[in-house]
Amino acid sequence: MILKTNSWLRQFGILGMNRRNAEYIMRFNPRSSFPLVDDKLMTKRLAEAHQIPTPPLYHVIDYHGDIAGLEKVLSEIKDFVVKPARGAGGSGIVLITDHQASSFLKPSGEALSWTDLTYHIFDILSGIYSLEGLEDRALIEAFIHPDPIFAAVTYYGVPDIRIVVYRGVPVMGMVRLPTQESDGKANLHRGAIGVGVKIKDGTTSTAVHHSMVITHHPDTGHPLSDIQVPYWKEMLHIAARTFDMTGLGYLGVDMVIDRERGPLLLELNARPGLQIQVANQKGLLRHLEFIDKAPSNIFTTPETRVAWALDAFTNPKS
Amino acid sequence: MKRPAVLLAVALLFISFALICYRIIWLKYPIFPAAPQKVWQLSMDAHIKGGEKEIKVMIGVPYTYKGQRVAEERIRSGTLNFNLLREGLNQIGVWEGTLGLEDETIGYSATIQIQPQRTLKTKPPTLEPYPPNIGKEEQALGKRLVAKWDLLPPKDRLRRIAPAARGIWGTPPPDAQDLQAWSSFQEKHGQPEASLVLLRAADLPARVVQGLELAESITNSTLIWIDVWTGQEWESLQPEKGEIYQKPAPLLPLTTGGSPVVRTLQGELSEIRWTLKREIINQWRMSFEHIMHSNRLLDRWSLFRLPEEFQRTFRILILVPIGALMICVLRNMVGFPTFGIFMPVLMALAFRNTGLLYGLGIFAGVVLIGYVVRRWINRLRLLLVPRLSVILTLVIIFFTVFALIGNKVGLRELMAVGLLPFVILTMTIERFFVITEEAGAREGIWTAAGSAAVATITYEIIQFEPFQLTFFVYPELLFAVAAVQVLLGRYTGYRLSELIRFRKLKGTS
Repeated sequence: MILKTNSWLRQFGILGMNRRNAEYIMRFNPRSSFPLVDDKLMTKRLAEAHQIPTPPLYHVIDYHGDIAGLEKVLSEIKDFVVKPARGAGGSGIVLITDHQASSFLKPSGEALSWTDLTYHIFDILSGIYSLEGLEDRALIEAFIHPDPIFAAVTYYGVPDIRIVVYRGVPVMGMVRLPTQESDGKANLHRGAIGVGVKIKDGTTSTAVHHSMVITHHPDTGHPLSDIQVPYWKEMLHIAARTFDMTGLGYLGVDMVIDRERGPLLLELNARPGLQIQVANQKGLLRHLEFIDKAPSNIFTTPETRVAWALDAFTNPKS
Repeated sequence: MKRPAVLLAVALLFISFALICYRIIWLKYPIFPAAPQKVWQLSMDAHIKGGEKEIKVMIGVPYTYKGQRVAEERIRSGTLNFNLLREGLNQIGVWEGTLGLEDETIGYSATIQIQPQRTLKTKPPTLEPYPPNIGKEEQALGKRLVAKWDLLPPKDRLRRIAPAARGIWGTPPPDAQDLQAWSSFQEKHGQPEASLVLLRAADLPARVVQGLELAESITNSTLIWIDVWTGQEWESLQPEKGEIYQKPAPLLPLTTGGSPVVRTLQGELSEIRWTLKREIINQWRMSFEHIMHSNRLLDRWSLFRLPEEFQRTFRILILVPIGALMICVLRNMVGFPTFGIFMPVLMALAFRNTGLLYGLGIFAGVVLIGYVVRRWINRLRLLLVPRLSVILTLVIIFFTVFALIGNKVGLRELMAVGLLPFVILTMTIERFFVITEEAGAREGIWTAAGSAAVATITYEIIQFEPFQLTFFVYPELLFAVAAVQVLLGRYTGYRLSELIRFRKLKGTS
């Protein structure tokens, strides 16, 4: 039974955690480049240097003292996001949709007081959410107003698009839709929905919620498949360019689509999860091995890589 | 690339294997040091009368040769001097000196392991001349009596001669005159010597042996038997009854070749007693003393040479890599979630003092209460480092309370709570809280259960005594452990948990 499942997974081309770590992350992601993606502020600056759009940054809090300047910054904006620069898996991110006086409204309707908010920021600074418990910085970023395309299948919060990029070639895509359960966050392990996106045309295919295959959004009841993701080609190009930007050969590229600004690079992940396989009902390994067999000239520029991917994944030869 | 890792693993395995082989083959270590083994405990006690005169007592003692191994020898000599000397095939303990008016008890004890499984490749002994007190005529008599069996192979010859002690001569019976001469000879020299003469006449090398019967017993006299060489091996003959002992003979020789076991040259031996007891011990114990006195490099650098109190630490320490290996297996092959990587190993080590049940109970209790307090503290908005300090203080307070309760109800396990890794527990409480907050209570409990399971498995392994002993005797096994760890580092197959996680994809293809 175990052996059978094992050989079946291998045949189906499912990538396991061990192989991902040993054969892809350790082989293609040089340790020295990790800080570029582990620190969202560094990623943001790097992306700006490469003309890749990111959500506008309002304020950075480096030290406890910097909190004083926050009030002034916040007085000019309505909604914003607080996130730790080095947070992992969406931990420590707080969305604020509105605020008056000293009451901050979360998308769920829950209100935070000014002390609640500053306490959270102090937590971020002391490193509670950071990967190695290092002291951290808190970022105050623009609240994303998501493109209405996903409005029918989003309870609240911001859906994001994850594209796994291997050696600069987009391999697999997924839209992550927040649910009531996930508190407006797009993290699958918190209960967000993962919907597979076909690389060739950017339409959604299958969907999973807590590893269960679903067809409709549990909160809104709308169908999840065959939604055309806007700006798809543009996003494939952004994804492909992150390889040249970071030198990391195996990346998860997280993007959001803002109503006015279009696709924005949110963050990069040097250890992208494996759940994207479940969302797409496809194995990553087969695609990765397929890319390894591609002629070397296709890897020269982001454009050639995207062109190859579009062609290869339209008529899969594997 | 996989190859260098595999090569490294093979090299490590080879080093480990080569060192173990060296120890087993050249240094004669037991292959399974923890395997139980039956041995005999021999002890001899003798009582010497006091007096102003010189005392000299010689008593045969067993020694190590192919077929038997003697260890843990202890001598009791009181005010007398003790010496061991070799005398022919024998090892003789010599107690000598002067006693006052007080009597003295001397003694000898040893652990003896009989190794009958080894065939003794002794070279054939030479045929000794007749005993000097046997005349030509008596020699001729013997020759005549055994002549009819001369053509039989030695084994059969012995089997025909043996019953003669009971007067069974087979057919045709010997000459009546010879028989009569023989019985007077038996009377004059005694049965052992009579048998010896017959065996010599039949050209069978033989020797008189004195010793003890291998049976749980206390005795004040030794046994006499005759070892007879039958071409391939020594067989033991009971001279009085003319019976041949079944192999392996249940005999423990003390002196061979006719000299008596106990010789009192000067002084008076008032009482002597031999005690034999069966015992089951680790194979290791038989080699232990040898190693302690050996000058070989690996013996001198053995962990057994450490002072006792440090040995105990190393017995456990040397198994910690096994614990780490278990974590590699459980995390990378099975997919158990744990708080921190080596936290379960530290827990397992601490469980040694508290016991598994109490350890797990305290672990669960501290984490649970810690979680409740941590939740409550959350409202106080403490900064990370002071907050962790508060939790740490809380953990120490728990420990103190547990220890005091343990003292009141007389439970040592509760008092040993202080040996639990408190820093790890503090971090565990914090991690448990964060996981529960972010990923839900299910995930938190699942991770806690995973940690407890891994700690339990690790604990059971490091508590397994044969393992402890084997690793202590062969520390080079650590290289083998490292080899497996290297190989696991290159394991890129699926985890058991992934088989479950991705199983659902199966239905869709």
